[in-house]
Amino acid sequence: MEQIIQVTILGIGLGGVFALMGSGLSLVFGVMRIVNLAHPSLIIAGAFTAYWGFRLWGIDPLVMLPVATLLLAAIGVLLYKIFFERNAKSATYSEMTVLLTFAIAMIIEGALGAMFSNTQRVTSPSYATDAFFLGDIFIPKGQLYAGMVSMLIIGLLAAFLKYSRLGYAIRATTQNRDAAALLGVNVNMVGLMSFAIGIGLAGAAGALTSFVFSFFPAKHWEWIAVLMSLVVMGGMGSIVGTVVASFGLSIVAAFVGAYVGSTWSTMTFFLALFLVLLFRPQGLFGEKPELL
Amino acid sequence: MTEFLKVEGITAGYGDGPAILDGAHMTVQQGKVHCIIGPNGAGKSTLMKVIAGMLPVRKGEVIFKGENLKGLRPDQTLRRGIAFVPQERALFPKMTVRENLRMGGYILNNDRERDRRIDEIFDRFPILRERADQHAGTMSGGQQQTLAMARTLILRPEIVMFDEPSLGLAPMIVREMFAIVRMIAEQGVTVLLVEQNAVMGLKHADWGVVLDLGRTLFEGPAQEVLHDPRIQELYLGGRKVA
Amino acid sequence: MKSQMIDSTPGDVLSARAAYNERLARLADKTRAVWFPLAILVILLVLPLLQFVGNYNYMLHLVLLTASYVAMAAGWNILGGFAGYISLGHNVFFAIGGYFAGMILARFGISAIIMAPVAGLVAAAFGYAIGLITLRVRGPAFIISSIAMVMIARLLFDNWHFVGGANGVTLPAPNLSSQWAKLPYYYAMVAIAAVTVWSSYRIKHSKFGLGLRAISKDEIKAESAGIDTRFYKVTAFAISAFFIGMTGAVWGEYLTYIRPSIFLVILIAANMVLMCILGGKGTVAGPVIGAVLLVAFNEFFVAMMGASELNILGTGVIMAVMLMFFPLGIVGTLALKGKLPRILNWD
Repeated sequence: MEQIIQVTILGIGLGGVFALMGSGLSLVFGVMRIVNLAHPSLIIAGAFTAYWGFRLWGIDPLVMLPVATLLLAAIGVLLYKIFFERNAKSATYSEMTVLLTFAIAMIIEGALGAMFSNTQRVTSPSYATDAFFLGDIFIPKGQLYAGMVSMLIIGLLAAFLKYSRLGYAIRATTQNRDAAALLGVNVNMVGLMSFAIGIGLAGAAGALTSFVFSFFPAKHWEWIAVLMSLVVMGGMGSIVGTVVASFGLSIVAAFVGAYVGSTWSTMTFFLALFLVLLFRPQGLFGEKPELL
Repeated sequence: MTEFLKVEGITAGYGDGPAILDGAHMTVQQGKVHCIIGPNGAGKSTLMKVIAGMLPVRKGEVIFKGENLKGLRPDQTLRRGIAFVPQERALFPKMTVRENLRMGGYILNNDRERDRRIDEIFDRFPILRERADQHAGTMSGGQQQTLAMARTLILRPEIVMFDEPSLGLAPMIVREMFAIVRMIAEQGVTVLLVEQNAVMGLKHADWGVVLDLGRTLFEGPAQEVLHDPRIQELYLGGRKVA
Repeated sequence: MKSQMIDSTPGDVLSARAAYNERLARLADKTRAVWFPLAILVILLVLPLLQFVGNYNYMLHLVLLTASYVAMAAGWNILGGFAGYISLGHNVFFAIGGYFAGMILARFGISAIIMAPVAGLVAAAFGYAIGLITLRVRGPAFIISSIAMVMIARLLFDNWHFVGGANGVTLPAPNLSSQWAKLPYYYAMVAIAAVTVWSSYRIKHSKFGLGLRAISKDEIKAESAGIDTRFYKVTAFAISAFFIGMTGAVWGEYLTYIRPSIFLVILIAANMVLMCILGGKGTVAGPVIGAVLLVAFNEFFVAMMGASELNILGTGVIMAVMLMFFPLGIVGTLALKGKLPRILNWD
């Protein structure tokens, strides 16, 4: 029993971070219909920002989080301007953008690798290796903090989308782009802002990731499949769905890791992605497939 | 008779494709209901998209109160008082009725004024107040169409364009839709209507415009258009108009 | 004008149409340059004679490498170019071919060159089975499923002790002097590449290839025109896996080891895709031109600048530029402008 609780707690801890990683991806897909394969590589860029803040100046990664967010948001704007503003209305637009984001992922991986080399790194503030104990159950502080901050940011994002003027415009564009344009929404600007916010969230997730996982530039390939499993299962474009899928899959993965073998825990995500894509492409909660 | 909106010699099409509209024209009088009819592919919806600024004009002009609308984007025509409800799916299905109405007032900069106008809409359409916090996508077809039409009124437009508001609705509900159209016109708002069911549309309109193959065949008072023999030939396949 | 159309009988129209088509076909024949790829092949076949007068091992290695990529890209092109299903996971079949032939070599000492066709068939069988599952979806969903396929394969191979896990298996090197050691693999790879390109030409001009192109244009219409789209797609998947599997078999023995980090890295899949995009997806010459250019580019980066990270960066930049500005690739863009040199028209 205790072990079950313990494993569940570890799963929840990871789920929080994955939820934040996935929500930015989901936002960008919702508004732009772009499957951003470069998202995980941008998370790594965010992790490097926090890492160097800590290594060079001893700044806590949680303090570096806003810096990483803003830096990556700026990169997001840049990527949008360079690659996605020219609204390609071809029939293969969605397919073309997937390959384009694949190319961007390689560019970012290559740039990070050339600058910082492909060695494993982790940011190590004191709490990263510390834990709370409740009887025999331990709660790693790093994961706890990261999970809580993630939830806080997702809460802020949800409130922003629910109540702000831009939030209305983003939701409206996600649900019906043409109707939004007819009501006076500048959908191009909404696309730009959703890119800035979505990639900014990747930066925030990266700062948290930097002390939860070890990372290196080429690691993002593994995360692509992990994150895709979350957003596809949650129903592409649905942030609530992404969060639910993150916690659900992370807990399952924690159990697989504990009872089957730690090497197989990521297999949970890959298999889930495969199965959901093929048998329920609209996601667990969606009504119509968005990806086809 | 004031010439309010003038549409002249419009040629337009999608992308590099062929011209869907090929020299269409129509006269629009303030405060009247105008029904555009014609067979499938005549260019009825395209004409509305051109007026709304969704499609660029290749030739001809759209003049609204003395201003040429050529080259304006949808949000710009909207600011000048022309609102457009496209065919089907004009709503945000996962937003509530209230949120949909708020989107209708998106370009208003005063939130209090916007919410006051939403309250007015609720007074006029009590069913919407009842459903205010329900997701739009979960309502019936008639209620959704009511919401889409009511939403245009938030901005107090001078012209509203409805592309087939009766599409996919039961006959009884269709009558309700036309009642709403009349009500809107009685407020002094000019209405443009595309209607597949010519008889039904013309009966509720003041002015009829007949399009075919991207051109205006003729236009005139709705009653006269309805009983014009040319219509029966072209459009109703020689059947007698009921 | 109108009266003319009414006057002409259907028979006249049909014969006029046939004459027109025939003229087009003759025009295509005249511009197609079959002699050029054949000449290249002949040159490549006699090239190793240079080993008598000096050491050209590096050059042979480059040709071999290019040939392996030609085979892989042309194989990928059958599914990705003709049928329009973009796979970012075709290196899985490279791995399956390599591991199958490699394990046979390690256990029974049978050379992978002999086993290559069998390895190709094994890869094709896997391709057929996987295709039955993943080709249910298309567009971005198919692309993502292909990435998931690589991740699953990588995890399986990394943890499969029978094939050495992440460390892989070392294969016996051939008992030849270094002067001639590359030759068997050189000829095997050039042959595989030539067969693959020739097959892709034959497929493109067959009824099957026509069906694939119909699928890539509009799958629903293709289906309603009576094409068994599912069978066509899955078969195309298997055929492309076959050629890539053969390449993997020879490549493993050539390297003298098989290891997940050689076969199952994303750069290999990315290269196959990029070569086709660079040269021109769906054309016969495209993958060849793409492979030659990209191998040259990679060599420049890795050999001259010594940084594989920059290589990844450069690969990404080329891919982005091609996608944004020349989505039809070199052959496609030139052909569209009517400026395709005759020697590059292999279609």
